Amino acid sequence: MKKGNKAFYVWLGVLGVFMIAGLVTALKLLMEGHVLFNTNDVIIWSLPLGAYIFLALTSSGLTLLSAIPLVFGVKKYEPLAKRLVFLAIATLCGAFVSIGLELGNVWHMIYIMLSPNLSSPIWWMGAIYSVELVLLAVKFWRLFMGDRSSLLSKYAGIASFICALAAPLMIGSVFGITESRVTYFGPVMSIYCLLMAMLSGVAFFILYAMVYHKVASEPVSPEQRVLYDEISLMLKYVAAGVLVFTLLKITIESATKVPEFLMIRKYEHTFGTVFGLQTEVALGLVLPFILLLFNVLRKSEVGKTIASALLWAGTLGMHMEILLSGQSHPIGPKAEQYGEALTYFPSIWEWLVFAFALAVMLAFYTLGERYLHLGQTAEPKTGYAAA
Amino acid sequence: MPRYAMVIDLQRCVGCGACSIACRNENNVPDGMYWSNKITETVGTFPNVRYHYIPTLCNHCEYAPCVRGCPTKAMHKLPSGITMHDPKKCIGCKYCEFNCPYGVIYFNWQSPHKFWRDDRPLIEGGTASPKEVVEQAGARAVPYYNPEREDTLAGTRPKGVVEKCTFCDHRVKKGKLPYCVEACPASARVFGDLKDPNSKVSQLLGKFRPFRLREQLGTEPHVFYIRGFNPAQYTPSKGGV
Repeated sequence: MKKGNKAFYVWLGVLGVFMIAGLVTALKLLMEGHVLFNTNDVIIWSLPLGAYIFLALTSSGLTLLSAIPLVFGVKKYEPLAKRLVFLAIATLCGAFVSIGLELGNVWHMIYIMLSPNLSSPIWWMGAIYSVELVLLAVKFWRLFMGDRSSLLSKYAGIASFICALAAPLMIGSVFGITESRVTYFGPVMSIYCLLMAMLSGVAFFILYAMVYHKVASEPVSPEQRVLYDEISLMLKYVAAGVLVFTLLKITIESATKVPEFLMIRKYEHTFGTVFGLQTEVALGLVLPFILLLFNVLRKSEVGKTIASALLWAGTLGMHMEILLSGQSHPIGPKAEQYGEALTYFPSIWEWLVFAFALAVMLAFYTLGERYLHLGQTAEPKTGYAAA
Repeated sequence: MPRYAMVIDLQRCVGCGACSIACRNENNVPDGMYWSNKITETVGTFPNVRYHYIPTLCNHCEYAPCVRGCPTKAMHKLPSGITMHDPKKCIGCKYCEFNCPYGVIYFNWQSPHKFWRDDRPLIEGGTASPKEVVEQAGARAVPYYNPEREDTLAGTRPKGVVEKCTFCDHRVKKGKLPYCVEACPASARVFGDLKDPNSKVSQLLGKFRPFRLREQLGTEPHVFYIRGFNPAQYTPSKGGV
């Protein structure tokens, strides 16, 4: 949106309303507790945690994508580097809003660092994402200053890339190493989360780029078109990887006789089914993958927009389905209090937490695009300043 | 240092739930939470049916998943093997509750004992309000508040943190038995030092083949069950013919 554009201020106003609603939610949570959520002692984690996973993994995916120019030195991707790093920061901030309100107290997020338990995957997840945020901020600052080649700039890029690889593995292990819940597929969950990070990050970047060019009335240049087409090709391959993984998971879930899996088969899928396949998989993975198979669609702006939007939303749906189905039945004596299988729908306060996280993220994007010149390619700095 | 464990004799247990009520009183446990609980199961088809009742509590596992997963060490092991929780360190991530294979950890979704803070009488001009009852009893939080719980843990735990059975560590520290053991009218619960070969716990575990819940997980629970109860009889026959 151009400066002085009325729509720009209306947009900021809308985001502001959601942020104020989010702050009211934060206060309510602080005063009344998580009784405001539609959770209980069986469905313990809900939409705010699902939103955190979704946004944190998207941020990791964006950081991994930014590593193509910043770590592996692929020059033609350099024009995208600054925007990718900034999007990763903004998306991670959205994720932190969501997890902060899931915990109910921002002090708790800081306290994790002060009393570390090194055997806890949650501690590692929190620590790695915190370090990643700092490294990304340093990296962006150096890029903004036109410094791509100093040691600080390079090492911040490499270290943030390593964090972006490790963090999804940690998110996966939070679920994967739980003794009580075999339906989370053990250590394989970590690999799945890494794949999902790549899928959501790449999908989100294409979606963002398409929306940006439309909103900013900035036509896609031939050089940009080549890059976007290549990234769409990457998206196709990553989607194929996730599809293979997902179909394998569904096959095992359907075929096994392990009691816990038999229990979750009774669970009514969160988003229902389409032709016997979970809706989020059918519409959020299979359909966009089919769209990406056609070169004409994959190379068109409309095709890119639809496929990437479906895939990005699909990853949220898949995270929520995995999160909820694994908690759908009570463990041990809790079956005395609760039904055999539970379902969940978010409360208004949980929706507001999600909206708050998205509003913070979108406000960052909007202001970043306006004031930080994200599309400009930084000229390499040489000499003392870059050393 | 002792290694505390509990043996529950299922033949003696009558399923009266006194353990659960005693625990609630001793530890000021809020509504909806059960530090001491049960698993019940009805199997078969009428008239050939059977009812199983297994009392449950925190297993104080040797390799406790809740302790391993807690990001801030709020959930920790005491030298005596008791799995203890420190609400001051708890950040409310609920991972211990998510990670517990036995479903014995609960989260304070709101400030506990909300009912007893209500200042509206049930019948206007006829009955006292719950808040007045608490005040008249000279208690805190609930009329039956036990201040001794405060010796090792917050008397009532605040909203936003988890809570669970502590083997009544505040009583054990004084040489007393956990209150569920004390209150059991059938003496179905035996508490003692697993390391001491002469303790009743060790003797029972040598005499009867025990089982533990979800043993295959390798968590090494410290709550053992002996003597499964079944009063049913049947007439012997060759191959059921």
